[in-house]
Amino acid sequence: MPLASHTTLSTAWFGLIGIMLVLYVVTDGFDLGIGILSLFTRDEHDRSIMMHSIGHVWDANETWLVALGGALFGAFPAAYALLLSSLYVPVMIMIAGLILRGAAIEFRHPAASKRLWDLAFGLGSLIAALAQGVILGRVITGLIPGRIGTAFSVLAALGVASGYALLGATYLIKKTTGRLERQARSYTLASAATTVAAALLLSAGTMVISPVAQSRWQDPVVFHALLGLAVISAIAFAMLLIGARRGATHSPFRGAVLLFISSFAGLALSLFPDLVPGRLSLAQAASSDGTLIFMMVGIGVLMPIMMGYNYYQYFVFRGKTQWQAH
Amino acid sequence: MAINDVVNLSRAQFAMTAIFHILWPILTISLSAFLVLVEALWLRTRDVMYYRHARFWAKLLVLNFAVGVVSGIPMEFQFGTNWAGFSRYTGEFFGNILGFEGAMAFMLEAGFIGVMLYGWERVPRGVHMFATAMVGFGSSLSAFWIMVANSWMQTPAGVKVDNGHLVVTDYVAAIFNPDMIWGVGHMWMGALETGSFVIAGISAFYLYRRRHAAFFLRSFKLAMMALVVIAPLQIWLGDSSGVEVFHHQPAKGAAIEGFWHTNAPGTGASWALLAWPDQARQRNDWALEVPVMLSVLGTHSLTGRVEGLADIARADQPPQLPLLFYAFRVMAGIGFWFMLLAFWTALVWRKTGGRLQEILARRKLLLAWILSIPLPYVAVESGWIVREVGRQPWVVYGLLRTSDAVSAVSPATVASSSLMFAGFYVVLLITFATFAFKWLKQGPDLEAVPAEFVPPATATGAAAAH
Repeated sequence: MPLASHTTLSTAWFGLIGIMLVLYVVTDGFDLGIGILSLFTRDEHDRSIMMHSIGHVWDANETWLVALGGALFGAFPAAYALLLSSLYVPVMIMIAGLILRGAAIEFRHPAASKRLWDLAFGLGSLIAALAQGVILGRVITGLIPGRIGTAFSVLAALGVASGYALLGATYLIKKTTGRLERQARSYTLASAATTVAAALLLSAGTMVISPVAQSRWQDPVVFHALLGLAVISAIAFAMLLIGARRGATHSPFRGAVLLFISSFAGLALSLFPDLVPGRLSLAQAASSDGTLIFMMVGIGVLMPIMMGYNYYQYFVFRGKTQWQAH
Repeated sequence: MAINDVVNLSRAQFAMTAIFHILWPILTISLSAFLVLVEALWLRTRDVMYYRHARFWAKLLVLNFAVGVVSGIPMEFQFGTNWAGFSRYTGEFFGNILGFEGAMAFMLEAGFIGVMLYGWERVPRGVHMFATAMVGFGSSLSAFWIMVANSWMQTPAGVKVDNGHLVVTDYVAAIFNPDMIWGVGHMWMGALETGSFVIAGISAFYLYRRRHAAFFLRSFKLAMMALVVIAPLQIWLGDSSGVEVFHHQPAKGAAIEGFWHTNAPGTGASWALLAWPDQARQRNDWALEVPVMLSVLGTHSLTGRVEGLADIARADQPPQLPLLFYAFRVMAGIGFWFMLLAFWTALVWRKTGGRLQEILARRKLLLAWILSIPLPYVAVESGWIVREVGRQPWVVYGLLRTSDAVSAVSPATVASSSLMFAGFYVVLLITFATFAFKWLKQGPDLEAVPAEFVPPATATGAAAAH
């Protein structure tokens, strides 16, 4: 009986951390994506609007990563220790990217010449996205060394970067007008193609190299759930493509978000109950019941409130971004 | 050898990142509290001058907050990258508290700072006040949780060792560990003291230059009045946490004071005002001593027992004794100077009724405030060094040695990431200083009028469509 409740608790925490991860990836994903797209935007005024569209929310978005780090540290200390110390280099590179872009977006504001800050913001965003992709790739492969692991990580890095660009482009459709909006629509189509290609290749790759995923996919329940998620992904993909072409304001972003959610749900289903496939299971990594319950009271109960005031901040700055140079 | 290198390099990296990071939140905590105060005063008195103060000081907060956020990111992940042993061993409590800090405090700050900084025209005044208050509360709450975690490393409680790592047996005991109330109090008060000195010092700078004198007399007075209370309170908190250190961390206490031989029962321990502690020879090379004083300081009694460092096993003694000894004296000296300066100014205020012309004539007094701006930072850093170096050789006092806490990574990796951080910090510091001077030169906008909030009709429609 106590064993069952412990399993329930650690599963609940796996779910909660999954939700935090999706919240991070979707929200910071679109502002990192806007950073990546800013590298391709020549006009400084356009870049100003792009950055202004995320100026009031990027910090809260990034805070999901900090909250996620703390939650993982408390709920699954062994996973936090194993992942961060074995992924030392990509984690440090990700931090470097985040420092670069975070400082750049704030300091560009009072700066007389914006060009260097814009470059720092764009490069920092790209570096952070690529590093997060490498981390994702290393986790899925269970930290295997060698060429296959490297190739998989490179593919994951490209997939994450283009996925973030997709989120960024669809967010810009919501927030901009005129030339910038038209540009965002064509970025949406291009990045949607690369993102879906990368996602398909990564799924196929996972099936080939991950014994954990292979055995999970043979479970009929998991198989059917994954099939359902694949259908949802296809609908989401159609929704964002059609929306982007037909001039819809909200559906491209919603489609992109749905695509991300179904991909991460599929990933979670394929790995569960492992945290680091083949290396560390939920049960091995989880803290004891007392900690999991205490944290659930402190963080789990707070989640809806956190999401609520984050939503309020978006709501205050809703609509197309107004920006004038001063 | 290699493991020793990793320990030393990781310690150096943590020291560098923490010493750099701490500079920013201490000002964010106090400056956001000040913004809550002036915005509330504006709403109460309807005096637009307070509104202009809110807008002026918020610009400094943005710059400061930005560096605080980006320099804080490495802190959250460093425990895992560089201190995997520590993370595995203490995660059930320490990681839990860090998670609380992120979810309860950082998110609150970040979730409202957008509205606070850019939402003046977009929300009603009451909502804006609420947003400012949440930013202020969030930053203080983050200080609370991080000091809960840190004080638990000083005086761990409420845990037991189980299967090679710590399991929480009593959350109340772990959170309210013996050092908690003093650690939280001393740090938080240090943050308030820092901001008060920054606000008073910058205001004094404008007064000294006779620029916008009437405007800055107000912020000068507010900060100075706060310091009349804060400065003595901080000395009391420091003294009380000192007694706690001698009780729970005798090796740290003895190391701070260069005290080598336990006093015999019935006698008072003498206190070295100045000395040069020599760890190799296990004594002070020279010392200027005051009899009985250490018993008074460390135990609040004339004959209280103070354990000498020579009576503690060499392996359990903190390293870098002269650093500990002098960092403590620098911190305490600055603390007393602050009280003196605050009292002196309050006295001048009483004598002159705080009339502008009289204050402007006190050039030396104003100069003293301007020159004191860096001092709270020096004091906080010195105090932090005393607190953390004094805890060595333990990472969790009495439970886990620092040498058992590091990750299995190569020294070269740690060295390169340290170099990277050092590079970033230099650039961030220069950039911050450049923009802060620009802000200082530009001064406040004395024409600024608060815009009335008009709920946009179209926006309401958009909201309904959401």
